[in-house]
Amino acid sequence: MRKIQNRSMLILLLTLAFFAGIVYHITNLSIHASEWASMPINGHIADTTGLDHAGTIYDRNGVILAQSVNGKRIYNEDETTRRACLHVVGDDSINISTAVQTAYRSELGSYNIVFGLGLPESLKKGSDLTLTIDSKMQKAAYEALGSNRGAVVVYNYKTGEILCLASTPAYDPENVPDDIETNDEYEGAYINRCVSATYPPGSTFKLVTAAAALNNVKEAENSTYDCQGSAEIGGKEVTCYEISGLVDMKQAMCESCNLYFGQYAVNLGKDAMTRQAEAMGFNKNITYDGIETAKSVYNVKNATTNDLAWSGVGQYTVLESPLNMAMISASIANGGKAYEPYILKTNPNPLKFEGHKTKTMLDSKTASMLYEMMDYTAANNYGKSSFSDTLDVCAKTGTAEVDEGGAHAWVTGFCKDEEHPLAFAVIVEHGDSGYRAAVPVAASVLAAVA
Amino acid sequence: MITLNEILELVSFGLRLCAPFVALLVVVLCFMSLSYGRRDEHALIALDDDDRNIRYPVLFWENSIGRSRGSDIRINDLTVSRDHAVLLRRSDGWFIADTDSKAGVYVNGEKTEGRVPVHIGDRIAIGTSVLTLSRADAQSDSKRRRVRDKKTVSCKLILVFLTVYILMIGIEAVINMGNYAVLMPTVGFILTSWVFYIITRAVFKRKSFELESLALLLSGSGIVLCASHDQHQALVQLAAMILGIGIFCFMLWFIEIPDRVMKWRLAISILALLLLAATLVLGKNLNGAKNWIIIGPFSVQPSEFAKIAYIFVGASTLDQLQTKKNFFGFIIVTALCLGMLFLMSDFGTAVIFFVTFLLISFMRSGDFKTIILAVSAAALGVLVILTIKPYIADRFAVWGHVWEYANEDGYQQVRSLIYSASGGLFGMGISKGYLQYVFAHESDLVFALASEEMGLILAVLFALIIGGFMIYARTVTTRSRSTFYSIAACTAGGMLVFQAALNIFGVTDILPLTGVTLPFVSYGGSSMAACWGLLAFIKSADERTYSHKKIKPKKIRKKEPAVTVVKTQDNDFIEI
Repeated sequence: MRKIQNRSMLILLLTLAFFAGIVYHITNLSIHASEWASMPINGHIADTTGLDHAGTIYDRNGVILAQSVNGKRIYNEDETTRRACLHVVGDDSINISTAVQTAYRSELGSYNIVFGLGLPESLKKGSDLTLTIDSKMQKAAYEALGSNRGAVVVYNYKTGEILCLASTPAYDPENVPDDIETNDEYEGAYINRCVSATYPPGSTFKLVTAAAALNNVKEAENSTYDCQGSAEIGGKEVTCYEISGLVDMKQAMCESCNLYFGQYAVNLGKDAMTRQAEAMGFNKNITYDGIETAKSVYNVKNATTNDLAWSGVGQYTVLESPLNMAMISASIANGGKAYEPYILKTNPNPLKFEGHKTKTMLDSKTASMLYEMMDYTAANNYGKSSFSDTLDVCAKTGTAEVDEGGAHAWVTGFCKDEEHPLAFAVIVEHGDSGYRAAVPVAASVLAAVA
Repeated sequence: MITLNEILELVSFGLRLCAPFVALLVVVLCFMSLSYGRRDEHALIALDDDDRNIRYPVLFWENSIGRSRGSDIRINDLTVSRDHAVLLRRSDGWFIADTDSKAGVYVNGEKTEGRVPVHIGDRIAIGTSVLTLSRADAQSDSKRRRVRDKKTVSCKLILVFLTVYILMIGIEAVINMGNYAVLMPTVGFILTSWVFYIITRAVFKRKSFELESLALLLSGSGIVLCASHDQHQALVQLAAMILGIGIFCFMLWFIEIPDRVMKWRLAISILALLLLAATLVLGKNLNGAKNWIIIGPFSVQPSEFAKIAYIFVGASTLDQLQTKKNFFGFIIVTALCLGMLFLMSDFGTAVIFFVTFLLISFMRSGDFKTIILAVSAAALGVLVILTIKPYIADRFAVWGHVWEYANEDGYQQVRSLIYSASGGLFGMGISKGYLQYVFAHESDLVFALASEEMGLILAVLFALIIGGFMIYARTVTTRSRSTFYSIAACTAGGMLVFQAALNIFGVTDILPLTGVTLPFVSYGGSSMAACWGLLAFIKSADERTYSHKKIKPKKIRKKEPAVTVVKTQDNDFIEI
């Protein structure tokens, strides 16, 4: 009998393994429960009744962006603000996947870890969310973009708070147009272009190439190139907008010389360029408060020498999201460290959302050199007053050629101001010129700050 | 202004909040009662080696005597075989059985063969050692009394709480559904459980009812859950439970005398094989596996009952275990069973059979090498099957990646996780879930369905009860009346736990989804009835189950005084 008892230890082990599995399931469930419960395919919340008792959404200044009154969801009273904040807040449906009302549906709704979604109607009360968004800036960005398609990202490089994530085209969540699926005017209206779209970055990518050069080549800032407007690199031509003559890195950045940075990309090689791009957010999943964003891409595996040169100036197959671009400016402004952006001012679920971390993109020496170059570029090429009369802005524009239609207009940069530590990125689709189309949008948004 | 609807909703919510705690109370009381009623393990008789002046206490109902380590009575004498003999207790006294020893066993100078009775004062020669059978000291009496003084929990009280719990979830279902569809199955269940209790007390004269109460809790929860989605299914389930209780009672009677079972073993193994063979010939293909026999309005899954027969074949009394080592026959039966299950493509049951085989063979031999050999052979077999029929591997392709296949092969698991998460600790309310619209919600996904509608606390409690059966089966191993019961109980418990693990972890994507039922809770008549049959093995391992069977004192006193020791033990024990 004793032998049998000893052998039955095996059976005890099986039971312990079973209990361990149960504990694992409970742990797993408590970590992911709110995420799973807020899945769009969840029948309990998929219909609009999921927001019937949802909490109020406030912007950073306490402006109500959305609230539930008597079982109905109503949005800000000003129509332009409603449209401007559409992609941040969302509508009754779950079509805008990155919107707060989609991503945090369970937190906003009556979901809690103890009762799940199981509270009776009369006891249901959604929790409120306060966002880091500034609805005034949001509105200014929306108005500045006007009928163009585009996106504006503004975030605080000292903290990571996102102040503006504006995207056009938008619609009024209280009166969703009937023809939204068919009308070309609303094509892509469900997409928040700040985070869910990627574009060729054009000349703004020269910041990455410059960083790669500064990190890999001694005194790279002093190396010069004699630009004659066009040259053959890898058997094919690389062209510039103008003939810059003999330029060092700072001057090349200011005049946005393609040949200088294209040649550098080739000299540095695929590995060094890819390493630097990946350190600055390319090929990586960037999330803010658990919301996934579109991945920026830098892939030169199959590039020819000429392709590599073009990749160094943000053409070839390079793609970047506006949020990623704002993060690069933020890291330059903040001594190489970019704060991971976030949108929730208060943390509704400490299990789901971690604290805010920084990500080192650059070493501080490289960052300070790029800082100086962007400062110089803004002052000597665009003119600081093109951005703001009161804020001291450093910036870099880009005009990215695309296969169809006019070039995409970019500008990214930051304020040198201690009180307004803002990094931004603006894209105007087919705006033709970064300086002419994107800089005025940035200026209007910054005007809303000052 | 609060409307009537809102009040009803609050009442339903209140019931939902309380039900898990009432169920928890039932479970705690049951396990308290199980641990209270235990006999302490004192020696009943002893073997005295007067030459060496050693006293060997005889602690169990079946004791191995030998030189090997781990023998219950270990005699350090080179003339003694490693597994020399077995000293065993039956209802008509003590016996010694020579288990193919080299030197043989002599009782009062006569060489014995097979099993012979022994009495107090008999001199048993084992090798060069001569042992005298004698009464154990009375010193443990005080100890025993202390055990008896321990409080007990009334089984009637447990059943009252169980009834309250079932009423609570029944009423909640009525409120939530706005009709009385669950009423009949609920009331039927409560009546059945009380009748079962009264019969147990009055007819079988058994006092313990804890294991039955726990199984009733699981079955009742399953029936109410089922009734809220399909009243007809619930009534079928209730009928299956009654059938299962019948099987439970019959089996308890049948296995009371282990030697009778050993005689019937061949017949039972043939029955198991016939059951599976009949399925193979007559079986209908339902949901991908050809494991159903349809007789008139009934559809039966014979493989569920073959599980019970299989344990009968595998378990064995200690003297048979030590002598015959009839491992070969057992392996042949196993191979035939597995082969037929594969032909039916009932892989879930095949895996359960294989694990049961591992458990039994380890319990019998304690040999890790055999286990490793069997597992490697199985791994090879699986590889061969996957090469011949590669589509089987597709079933496991989504395992661990269910979210990527949310609308394809991971559909059920993804819904299960989402709706488990929605339910929280107390659930959305019975019948208020969305998982009921997913295929196999009442059987394969029942753990998630319970999580969604009744809450995580209850769902986990169900799992803990099944794990508790297993732990209980283990704690009674040395207190059982034969290794037959110990092995059968541990294996039956292991089978229940393994099946529960396949079900629960399949649905939560910790293991691949194999489509086996959750014991007692899932909808499925054959499974329900068979689970009650398995429970009989666990119940029989507890010697209390049969302790009411008093040996009529007069008759035995005439025969041989030695047995009176046994009788007093039994009497003592009944009063506990």
